[in-house]
Amino acid sequence: MKKPLQITVNGEIRQFFAEPYCSLLDALRDELLLTGTKKGCDEGDCGACTVLLNGQAVTSCLVLAHSAHDSQVTTVEGLADHQKLHPVQQAFVDHGGLQCGFCTPGLIMSAVGLLQENPNPTEEEVRFAIGGNLCRCTGYNKVVEAILAAAQAMQNKLKA
Amino acid sequence: MPEYTVLEHSHPRVDAWEKVTGQATYAADLHLPGMLACKLLTSPRSHARIVSIDTSRAEKLPGVRAVITGKDFPNTHFGSGGLKDRYIMARDEVYYIGEPVAAVAADDEMTAQEALELIRVEYQDLPAVVSPLDALKSGATVVHSDLPKFEGYGFAAGGPNVCTLLDADRGDVEQAFHEADHIFEDTFRSQGINQGFLEPMACAARVEPNGRLTVWASTQGPYQVRAQLAGVLGMTISNVKVIPMELGGGFGAKLRLAFEAFPALLAIKSGHPVKLVNTREEAFTMNGPRLPTHIHLKTAVKDGRITAREAHSVFDVGAYLGAGPNSGVGHALGAYHIPNFKLRSYGVYTNKLYVGSYRASGVADMTFAVESHMDIIAHKLGVDPLDFRTINAVKEGDQAVGGARTPRNGLQETIQAVKERLGLPKKLTSDNPNEARGVGVALCEWRSGSGPSTASISVNEDGTVSLLTGSVDISGSDTSLAQIAAEALGVKMEQVIVAERDTDLAPFTGPSGGSRIIYSQGKAVQMAAEDTRKKLIALAAERLKLSPEALSCAGGRVYVQDNPPQGFTLGQLARQSLTSKGGPIIGTAALSSMPYTPVFCTHAAEVVVDKGTGQVRVTRYLQAQDVGVAINPMSVEGQLEGGVVQGIGRALTEEIQWDPNTGKVRNPSLATYLMPLAVDMPQVENILIRVPSPDGPFGARAVAEPPGFGPPAAIANAIYDAVGVRIKDLPLSPERVLAALQGKDTEIKMDVEALRRAEAGRG
Repeated sequence: MKKPLQITVNGEIRQFFAEPYCSLLDALRDELLLTGTKKGCDEGDCGACTVLLNGQAVTSCLVLAHSAHDSQVTTVEGLADHQKLHPVQQAFVDHGGLQCGFCTPGLIMSAVGLLQENPNPTEEEVRFAIGGNLCRCTGYNKVVEAILAAAQAMQNKLKA
Repeated sequence: MPEYTVLEHSHPRVDAWEKVTGQATYAADLHLPGMLACKLLTSPRSHARIVSIDTSRAEKLPGVRAVITGKDFPNTHFGSGGLKDRYIMARDEVYYIGEPVAAVAADDEMTAQEALELIRVEYQDLPAVVSPLDALKSGATVVHSDLPKFEGYGFAAGGPNVCTLLDADRGDVEQAFHEADHIFEDTFRSQGINQGFLEPMACAARVEPNGRLTVWASTQGPYQVRAQLAGVLGMTISNVKVIPMELGGGFGAKLRLAFEAFPALLAIKSGHPVKLVNTREEAFTMNGPRLPTHIHLKTAVKDGRITAREAHSVFDVGAYLGAGPNSGVGHALGAYHIPNFKLRSYGVYTNKLYVGSYRASGVADMTFAVESHMDIIAHKLGVDPLDFRTINAVKEGDQAVGGARTPRNGLQETIQAVKERLGLPKKLTSDNPNEARGVGVALCEWRSGSGPSTASISVNEDGTVSLLTGSVDISGSDTSLAQIAAEALGVKMEQVIVAERDTDLAPFTGPSGGSRIIYSQGKAVQMAAEDTRKKLIALAAERLKLSPEALSCAGGRVYVQDNPPQGFTLGQLARQSLTSKGGPIIGTAALSSMPYTPVFCTHAAEVVVDKGTGQVRVTRYLQAQDVGVAINPMSVEGQLEGGVVQGIGRALTEEIQWDPNTGKVRNPSLATYLMPLAVDMPQVENILIRVPSPDGPFGARAVAEPPGFGPPAAIANAIYDAVGVRIKDLPLSPERVLAALQGKDTEIKMDVEALRRAEAGRG
């Protein structure tokens, strides 16, 4: 039986009903129609469903929707400020950090999570932070370049 | 290199914004009003007769809207690999564990799943064969007893389960072996591989009020899906519209009809739209992967040059020829000129999930064998492996396997570039006594893909142009096609709109695969742009009362060469065209095939081998590829890097594990099927060589397939260089390396003599 819950998603309070077994991923995709977050495996192996839960990058397929009750969730749809991309999104565009795009939302959310905790990561730290995000197209080179460039851009903006 | 204004520039992808904001819509993202969820019931038996199927209890479950079995489809065989050997859903027999036997459409996935458990299927087991080498033996269990009746079947040789036989012959192989200084023979095995696309297969279908069927598919080949789907449903293709959705990786797995027929028939039966989304497990157990390949090579060498090659390869195709026949046969020569050859390639049925395509099916397997074999020969002859390759490499004018002359190419330049960058030959040493380091090389070859291609370009009243092709975007191909159009028309990238497409809207085009989009589709775009340019110039000439030869088209204008300020913008011409004699300006082009153009690259890997565990780590990877011209260097590099990393996965960790008795996939998850992660991979280095191809658009060659070929052999050769053991079996796992270090027999055995006898018997 579906039960009510409330989650702040991308800054908006969303009240809806979900089954007790419903994952946060399915709630986002099927109840709130936020389909930017992808389901690549539904068992925590691919990272395509990564979102920020109270600021932490998590695989949303492994979080029950009801356990996120009263929490703050940020998805890939919540990063851009109207027509202005988040620096991580912009860096993925500029550095070719995406191809088929299916793993991209998860990679971007992992990167945003990383840069919140560690604004100036080394290449090794970037590779470790996206170590739970599978990408089959890019070979990771340009993803890593994009995240390092985003870190740089965000640092420069802070200094400016 | 000519001065380009748009080509050779790393423009961001035209679809980048949608993809980084989560707005790109993949098939699983569709939510249509009243849409039902589809789930599939699959066979738990390797080979069995279906005695009965009872769906009555499932149909009564509240929320279930329709149930179908194989008997609900027309009784027609279909095939996607040149042989009509299969039903879309099992009818009387099942041939592998995982074969669909029934499908349910229900209000939600949970209900559909519950309904599956209420379907009763009674099976009567039949003998099964899992190993391809067993299936090849005379007296083996027969997978398809009606094989000779299948449409497309045309021979009988090699064994009871051989469904394809490809051959290529030239010269006098026997004589060359007789006269050889040395003869070398090796047998290799490559493993079963999953394409590893991140987006599991998804599709949806809806019956429109006029009776036509709309299908939303995750596909590389919308026109192929349309034709095959119409076939299995007994419809005409004009009653099927396929809308290709954003493609979340395919790599060959999504070239053909997959599961679209199930939601389609359920939509017809229920009157509701129906969506099917595979689970990750189903991506491993239901979606055709590559299966194991055994390859035996025999090579004659005289005066340091290869004079003859005999090759026998056995490609396990599983229960059906889902793809192919394998394209590996001609590639048994590798990137070398070999005057005499006898090449045989067998496709063999087994009771396993049927074969699919993956980034040039069969060629990666063949490259592992050929390039390992080349290294073995060089070491036995005591010559430098790269020098041995250089001497024997194919040259301009040499005849390729198919008979075509090899056109100008950059193979030698790629070899030289790798040699210089790495300082080869060199010997790597390690300070750690438990480790050893080594370097290995491999040459790869492929051809630029051909096939039907169409394009149209219309000029809009504001001076932008709309580009329409039927090709699905893979790997940024839309962006590169837009760049070709922009360059050819002399407009800016921002002025090119790439139109959304479906099979009603765009004219027929071949699938997006086999490295054909830029070379063939790109050529069609270039030709359509030239047609557009001609029409723009003709209109301007008419208006200016000048001859067309006096005009040029560049910078978004058509202008008088002798007086550039005099002319029209494209927008002005488009507006004028609305009332002109010829009407609105639209350029079109179509072609069916393109001339043979090879693609070559040289790969090198540096590895560290842990002598205690057999663990291999790639510390540096370098590739040099002749790309002709880099339409979009960032996109080209992305292809090269992604391909290499797939190849490193194939080399070191990836392997589909089948139960040896039942053929069941034992590792159907991303936790047990080990694809490379960012933490495992070296920074891949690329060198782009630019020797323009005679026929490609602006001299471009294909890019995408060959980068995946090199790593297994380059890494195996580097392991040999490091620790002196030769692994002929993929993946190059710690277990295999350690066993070889401990002196265990790791040779692959295959009865080539039996194949030779079978062929002699046929004659």
